[in-house]
Amino acid sequence: MSIYKQAVNKPITTMMIFAAIIVMGFYSLTRIPVDLYPEINPPFISVITTYPGANATDIESIVTRPLEDALNAVDNLREITSTSSDNLSVITLELSWDANLDEATNEIRDVIDRIYNFLPDDVDRPSVFKFSTSQMPIVFYAVTAKESFPGLDKILDERIINPLNRVDGIGSIGMIGAPRRVVYVDVDARRLDAYFLTIEQIGNVIAAENLNMPSGNIKMGKTDYQLRVQGEFAESHEINDLIVGNFQGTPVYLRDVATVRDTLKDMTLDEKINGQTGLRMFVMKQSGANTVRVARDVTRNMEILKKDLPPDVEINLIMDTSEFIKGSINNLSRTLMFAFFFVVLVVLFFLGKWRATFIIVLTIPISLIIAFVYLFISGNSVNVISLTSLSIAIGMVVDDAIVVLENISRHIERGSSPREAAIYATNEVWLSVIITTLVVVAVFFPLTLVGGLTGVMFNQLGWIVTITVITSTLAAISITPMLSSRLLTMKQKITSSSKLSYQNTIEKLLHRVEDFYVATLRWVLRYKAFVLLSALALFVSSLLLTRFIGTDFMPQTDESRINMAIELQTGTRVEETVKTARKIEQIMMDDYPEIEVITASSGSDDEGGMFALFTTAGSNMINFMTRLSPVDERSRTVWEIADGLREKINAMPEVISLVVTTSGGPGMGGGENNVDLEIFGYDFNTTNQLAENFRDRISQLESATDVTVSRQPDKPELAVLLDKEKLAIHGLSSATVSTMVRNRISGMIPSRFKEEGEEYDIIIRFEEHQRNSITDLEEITVMTPRGEMIKLKEIATVEEFWGPPAIQHKRKERVVTVSAKPHNTSLGELANEILEITREVEIPHGVAINVGGAFQEQQEAFRDLGLLMILSLLLVFIVMASQFESFRTPFVIMFSIPFALTGVIYALFLTQTTLNVIAGLGSVLLIGIVVKNGIVLVDFINLMRDRGKALNEAILIAGKSRLRPVLMTAFTTILSMMPLALSRGEGSEIWSPMGITVIGGLVFSTMVTMVIVPVMYSLVAKSGQRNKTMHLRKDFDFLD
Amino acid sequence: MSNQENNPQQHTQNKAVFIVFNQAHTERIEYIIDIMKIKGYTFWEDVQGRGSVTGEPRYGTHTWPEMNSAILTIIPEEVVPDLLDNIRKLDEINKDVGIRAFVWDITQAY
Repeated sequence: MSIYKQAVNKPITTMMIFAAIIVMGFYSLTRIPVDLYPEINPPFISVITTYPGANATDIESIVTRPLEDALNAVDNLREITSTSSDNLSVITLELSWDANLDEATNEIRDVIDRIYNFLPDDVDRPSVFKFSTSQMPIVFYAVTAKESFPGLDKILDERIINPLNRVDGIGSIGMIGAPRRVVYVDVDARRLDAYFLTIEQIGNVIAAENLNMPSGNIKMGKTDYQLRVQGEFAESHEINDLIVGNFQGTPVYLRDVATVRDTLKDMTLDEKINGQTGLRMFVMKQSGANTVRVARDVTRNMEILKKDLPPDVEINLIMDTSEFIKGSINNLSRTLMFAFFFVVLVVLFFLGKWRATFIIVLTIPISLIIAFVYLFISGNSVNVISLTSLSIAIGMVVDDAIVVLENISRHIERGSSPREAAIYATNEVWLSVIITTLVVVAVFFPLTLVGGLTGVMFNQLGWIVTITVITSTLAAISITPMLSSRLLTMKQKITSSSKLSYQNTIEKLLHRVEDFYVATLRWVLRYKAFVLLSALALFVSSLLLTRFIGTDFMPQTDESRINMAIELQTGTRVEETVKTARKIEQIMMDDYPEIEVITASSGSDDEGGMFALFTTAGSNMINFMTRLSPVDERSRTVWEIADGLREKINAMPEVISLVVTTSGGPGMGGGENNVDLEIFGYDFNTTNQLAENFRDRISQLESATDVTVSRQPDKPELAVLLDKEKLAIHGLSSATVSTMVRNRISGMIPSRFKEEGEEYDIIIRFEEHQRNSITDLEEITVMTPRGEMIKLKEIATVEEFWGPPAIQHKRKERVVTVSAKPHNTSLGELANEILEITREVEIPHGVAINVGGAFQEQQEAFRDLGLLMILSLLLVFIVMASQFESFRTPFVIMFSIPFALTGVIYALFLTQTTLNVIAGLGSVLLIGIVVKNGIVLVDFINLMRDRGKALNEAILIAGKSRLRPVLMTAFTTILSMMPLALSRGEGSEIWSPMGITVIGGLVFSTMVTMVIVPVMYSLVAKSGQRNKTMHLRKDFDFLD
Repeated sequence: MSNQENNPQQHTQNKAVFIVFNQAHTERIEYIIDIMKIKGYTFWEDVQGRGSVTGEPRYGTHTWPEMNSAILTIIPEEVVPDLLDNIRKLDEINKDVGIRAFVWDITQAY
């Protein structure tokens, strides 16, 4: 018993099966998390090693190099990069995308274990750190306060962070720029000398006094008492009254030599939100948690928690990644609804029957809902990619149902009973329906095999379209015949005389189109050579147009935010940096009302945790994070604003470099588009010069902007050079002297002050004005073991020079990267121009050059796409060759594919869209859709030929009868893509290139298919039925 | 006439009617046979063939996807004209679907 017969005979069972699918689909839908993209675990693992006291060059040779050599053997390693800076070595391993990161981490640990013994003793054990997108902050808040600012840290911790941490799915909450309370003991160096004291002595006294000590038990009578010696300071001013020494018989109090300040830590980082003092708070989610839900819960809880805050504390949202996600998802859902609506319209237009339209359209929800079941089972999320896949599929899932229903209604019109027509008509077409589905699957299934970053996006698309299309075929041969047998009735001869009836309007129009097409076909069959030549000319002319189409990796998206990293002269004090930051803020507020929230952080913070990894900090750096008003509420795009800011800020003389980014962090899709020029070479001077040279040349390009050099300029350093001999005479060592210098300048933390369960550092050091010149340094008093007080200048000289920068490695070699972003041009073009420059410049011996960055990823992705296209073509050929049992027919059909590309090129050219990965993907998808049209036509020509019609007659008959189905499937696909191509909402930039590609390619190739394919067919298939008969006759010559 | 003597159970002359028709007619044929109270028949669900004059081939192939069914029934002579009439009416709904009936004499029966 066949499926369709079962289905028709058991309508209730059939209905129940599909009801079950729909119920499961809805259940899944409520369970699937919503996210922007499928979860990706970027295969990056960092190995971080600290070696206190070593400078960048030491770190490079002692730590980084041996580790790199050892780590190079890790499986699946693609690239190894490292940065060696003072005290710190960071090695980043990029693995292939399909690598198992847990295994890799273990392997890396093994490697570290092996090598650890060969590293110097003072090197800390390297720590392994795995990066995950889920560690990116999902919500950013700006917190501003006036009077409460000094205690803001504690207020937020108690009233916001602790309660908020209870929200399900929150990974952690961090703060940047929070004021911290410290107790400073500012020592007057002269008085210290006068009393023969040292900082260390004072520190020891503080440490010794600030102490609570459990001292055993005392049993008295029946009770057992715990004994405790209590010496801890209850108030910070108690420190003033400590006796730190004796001078000529009188005690020296701490207040005699120092002042105690219980205050906020000195500023190294300045946070301003819209020009007000404040801090930033960020929320990170747990891996696998639903971004949208977590963000929603956080904002909802925040509203409640806010009420407990002091009135001057204000919390403003700077960035909520979930808003962009919600926007994109809503936008796509709307797109999907429009697509559905258009498909219904097309079907109704061509069929003119409500019931038939209903039956066909019903396959859409059935096949789409199954995608949610897939997403649920595979643990995926509803995201931009899965929704786009659905809107791609929506136009295709009706095709099979159309074919089946058309045949059924043909049978019914001939007088069969609907029930029987449903069974026998389905029997006639089910095989060809399955084969056309196979063609589509042949194109989409390879997408599931793509690896790498592009694979993350394509795999879901591949699976979703494959699954929905297969479901739609199953629905077409089960529920479509079942419903047809119930709902379709024998058509009464409609004699409606109304002028506006379907028969008198659309039907007439369609007939006219058919007649016109047959006339065209007749004409082209007569002038085959002319037609083919002009087609060739069209194709070639489109190839010439490719020169005007730029290439990009991923489309840029307007995410309504601009981040800027501004670098001032190295060594600039944070106070100066802050002044510049205020100036820039003023510019933003005056000229760009679109900017709603500005947060500026100047200087560096030793905290900030994970977030510090994503930003460059330093006393000369300013980082701006801004939020703009929503896309539809402003006339200037984020790029226009960014360009304007760029121009204004670059005009400021103190700004050395400026990087403006318009997307959030290292993600995918809408990620940064830049071309990296990598200069490999050992010698700093040569490579620095070369990098500067390239930077100058690239900056002069019209098409380049944000040109930066990865190697920081040399840092000004003051070095204390000790005289070893003199040290020995005084019984000192480098270690003791360096600790003393450190304690006096940076400060010594002998103990912590406790209050209400919190601990605050007590920092002892020289007063500010006694530690801000070279003379001050030289005047530092050093106490020798013999108790003599000597000045630092007696045993050392202080010199000023330039320290080595952080040293970056790529593939174990020193590298400097000059990166540039395309400006009013495409990534590919900029890369070509930069390549041009590299050819002009003479590369010194021992230096190698490579152009990478997003450009490299683009190249890789394009190569993947190329392979994918070849694979799809092969699979499609295999399916068709076996269907037609012929090698020739598939060629005739595939002849239309180049014209699909022609259509793509024209569409890209006319809309001024660049060819990026998404557009490339669109072209691959086109193969399936275009070929499907060809199959419908050629199959019918073959049929007519087999039924004994002459070649041209067969072509004309087939053309006339297949025009409607071809137009119908083409229109459903084109119109369902229309919302995708035209959508202008949030995140639409990513997918509109695909819509444009598919529409352009399909419109053009449909026209060409209907003309070129018949011509090719008539050229290739000269030997038809007649030759077969001749051939057969030869075998039976005994009859003659 | 001579058959009658050989077959004592039969009171009237019996005829064999071979009906070959497009599968799409199956239900109606079954209905006709039922209302005419014809009890015995032999039914082939899938048979191939083509008409001598206008009938299209029915091969169940890709080129000619449709199939025929066939019924052979032995009925009394007087029922035959009614049956043929019904079949003609059925055929007239749409000639393209196709149905034909042929009548034989039964010379002997067991």
